[in-house]
Amino acid sequence: MLVFTRKRNEAIVIGDGIEVRVLRVGKDGVRLGIAAPADVAVHRREIYDAVRAANQSAASTTPARATKLAARLRQRLATTPATPAATGA
Amino acid sequence: MSASVATASIDPGADAQAVVPGDVVTMRDGLPGFEQCRRFVVISSPDLAPLVQLQGLDGPRPSFLALDPRQVRADYDTVLAPADRRRLAAEDADVLLWLALVHLEGGRFLVNLRAPVVINPRRMLGLQVVAAESSYDTHHELLAG
Repeated sequence: MLVFTRKRNEAIVIGDGIEVRVLRVGKDGVRLGIAAPADVAVHRREIYDAVRAANQSAASTTPARATKLAARLRQRLATTPATPAATGA
Repeated sequence: MSASVATASIDPGADAQAVVPGDVVTMRDGLPGFEQCRRFVVISSPDLAPLVQLQGLDGPRPSFLALDPRQVRADYDTVLAPADRRRLAAEDADVLLWLALVHLEGGRFLVNLRAPVVINPRRMLGLQVVAAESSYDTHHELLAG
């Protein structure tokens, strides 16, 4: 891993067109500004990891199980139409 | 918010090589965890409804189940960032297909409302939205037990 020391308003450049600039250095964290081409996705590591873990879990459902799940889901949706839920928000 | 699915009439067990090019959705960055899989098809069948199958065609060929997030929460509302709209080549008139991936953990049926897959059927381009901020959960419980 490359390691740089940067002060506020200093930046590094990655490849062609990606710039990471230190905007603020505080007691609890560093605020970074990232300029990248529109086709380059930039994510917070912990969010990306959470989505990756959910995807890996999601990719493991077998077709037989899927059919059973779908039947349960149809039953559930028939009896309780989707409503704003108390969880997940 | 949702479009009719540009579906392929394929048996879920059928060889995906039978897919015709017009059915293939390209996700240029793949999905987190499956970055090497860029091509997908959306498969629907009466046995699976209201779920659809999102079948990868590359690498490990991951297979996902998904449903319209508004089937889970009628008030579901995630706004696509301008950069994501550009990646989908989405114009204002385009009706996009939104799919929340489902997963099972310990018998619980969970839905990822946090990072929906969005497809532009007109261009057959898709991506998984990984927004920096969201009020939704990757593990929204739909069915327990």
